[in-house]
Amino acid sequence: MVHCKSRMTIWLLVAVAVTLMLGVAPAPTLAQEKIIKIGTIFPLTGPVALAGQRCKAAVETAVEIINNKHPNIKVPLAAQAGVLGGYKFVLVHTDSQGKPDVGKAEAERLINQEGVWAIIGAYNSSVSMPASMVAERAKKIFMCGASSSAALTQRKEMKYFFRTASTDEIESQEFIDVLQWLNKTQKNANIKTLGIIYENSVFGKNASQQALKAAAAGGFQVVADVPFTPGATNLDSEVQTLKSKNPDALFGAVLGADYALMVKTMKKMNWVPKVSLNYCSGYQDPVISKQLGPDADYFMGSTAYSPEFASMMPAVAEVEKIFKSKTGGVPFDSDSIQETIAMLVLAQAIEKAKSLDPTKVAETLYANTWPSPLSLSGKVAFVPGGQNKYALSLITQLQDGKYKKVFPTEKADTKPVFPMKPWDKR
Amino acid sequence: MDTLLQVLLDGMLNGMLYALVAVGLCLIWGVMDVINFAHGEYVMIAMYVTYWLGFLMNVDPLISMFAGGLFIFILGALTYRLIIKYTIGKPPLSALLATFGLAMLLKNLCLNQFTPNFRILSDTWLGDKTFLLGALIVPVPQLVTAIVALVVVGLTYYMVRSTRFGWAIQATAMDKEAAELMGINTERIYLLVFGIGGATVGIAGGIMPTYLAVHPEVGTMFSLIAFICVAMGGFGSIPGALVAALLIGIVEALGGYYIAPVFKYVAVFGLYLALIFLRPKGFFGW
Repeated sequence: MVHCKSRMTIWLLVAVAVTLMLGVAPAPTLAQEKIIKIGTIFPLTGPVALAGQRCKAAVETAVEIINNKHPNIKVPLAAQAGVLGGYKFVLVHTDSQGKPDVGKAEAERLINQEGVWAIIGAYNSSVSMPASMVAERAKKIFMCGASSSAALTQRKEMKYFFRTASTDEIESQEFIDVLQWLNKTQKNANIKTLGIIYENSVFGKNASQQALKAAAAGGFQVVADVPFTPGATNLDSEVQTLKSKNPDALFGAVLGADYALMVKTMKKMNWVPKVSLNYCSGYQDPVISKQLGPDADYFMGSTAYSPEFASMMPAVAEVEKIFKSKTGGVPFDSDSIQETIAMLVLAQAIEKAKSLDPTKVAETLYANTWPSPLSLSGKVAFVPGGQNKYALSLITQLQDGKYKKVFPTEKADTKPVFPMKPWDKR
Repeated sequence: MDTLLQVLLDGMLNGMLYALVAVGLCLIWGVMDVINFAHGEYVMIAMYVTYWLGFLMNVDPLISMFAGGLFIFILGALTYRLIIKYTIGKPPLSALLATFGLAMLLKNLCLNQFTPNFRILSDTWLGDKTFLLGALIVPVPQLVTAIVALVVVGLTYYMVRSTRFGWAIQATAMDKEAAELMGINTERIYLLVFGIGGATVGIAGGIMPTYLAVHPEVGTMFSLIAFICVAMGGFGSIPGALVAALLIGIVEALGGYYIAPVFKYVAVFGLYLALIFLRPKGFFGW
């Protein structure tokens, strides 16, 4: 019995030794493989999982282009394989569920356990905020594609945070410009009052604050300020409130299925404002016009990309083929394309810095203007705080299911339908 | 005045939908003392059943809601047979965690299979139809849902109160061992209660795609409200769940419109907390 026990002990020690050896052995192999680990944080489940899944596919698209030779794709680094003479990117995906605490925990796990070199994310502004703080503390670069809260890039002390997309501050000003333009150019437009409907989240609250600020500066009176709970069972009281205040214009910060519910409820209550302008992915979602059909028409919003922009951005087509292969045929939208841009710009900065020192790469990101054929402006450059100063979007209106460019007029391809057609006259 | 009436009408119609979702939970929770965390996922799956039948075979939700009911009846019975059965007699946390796990499984299965895309069934018989009743806008899909809810809740109540099977359910709920001594096959009762509870919520989910988008997260808030309906109405009390659901719908609508839209769920949960403080057994609890 004693003999048996001592043999077991020996075998146990051998097993432990082998395990330890195996545990240690792969490290030099990985190093030899020249891998740069990038962590992604997106809402892969939860109320905005649809957008999160597309953002994930967008980063994968960029990595596929960078890691392999794609001479037919006209974006930087596509013609070569990898960066720094053969380093390949490997993605480690995590799911924030759209929750700030989960996103923050995932950022910590990515940095401390997965050992990622940088993070891309996090779609929800409420998640990007704490997750980027974790990255900043660890001196890791945080590339933010699509979070729109202006507050993210107002943190001037941040050295490792970079955002490629436009902000709700910029969009709010664009929306006010549109209202003023309509007042000037449309007969009897007379837009004086404004309603705001927004989800009760960091994204929605920031959008509403920026809208209030821009409205005050533009001389518009806000008559309805309507936050709602994302994922609500109905939006009856919300739309009823808007209907009773009857603002001339409506600004909406409403995502995903909530946007569809808002439009359906407006139809049920037989109410539309003269003009409805929407932030972010509810309006921009390419499936909106398919799912809502003609009901989606005549709403307006800011758009950084839609397939209708193809002639202005010819490089997108080939990239979009790869993206579509990952999304079951769904094209880029304004948000997802920003994640591809963020990854491509990061890779360019690593290549230019000729270094994997995050501080050096961050300084390089600030010091240069990056060619970006997937951006509407064609370039990306960051100002202190990490905002892309060339972030650009156009105002579009859905007409017959197509995103038609209506503002600014020099880039417009059609005139807006104004005022919005009432439901009973469609 | 017109606005008040409109708000009340919308609240009552929403309340009837909550009642339809809650009645199955009431049956399961009241009889078996099992908290079914997968209730919201039952709603979601029934919505997918109806959606796909409509999308692929052009079957209107008014008909396919019965298929939704049947599907969830089977799912409910399987849930009992494969999961809940093994938690009976164990600490209550076992069933709770087991159904929580089931909820995660079902939600992620749908995410995986159907993607997070939201889907809207177009060209249904009821569509976006409305009619005017004086100055009131009456939405036809919600009105029909309310009628379906009344019928389903009424039939379930009749079954529990006035049939031999219902008496067996009540006996099992009161004292399982005594019921077994009286010759009641409590195993079968549990199985059928889970199935029937599932069928009612299946019908609710089945009719919802006429006016709501289908996606993997759609059941979450309905499930939460259903729990409150049952707790407020009194565990196992079907009329209690109906009254609570109507009250929740009305409070939600009034609070949302007259205080602030963001306040509507605060009003509902506040009412729940107040009631639990004043009358822990709910309106009609035992």
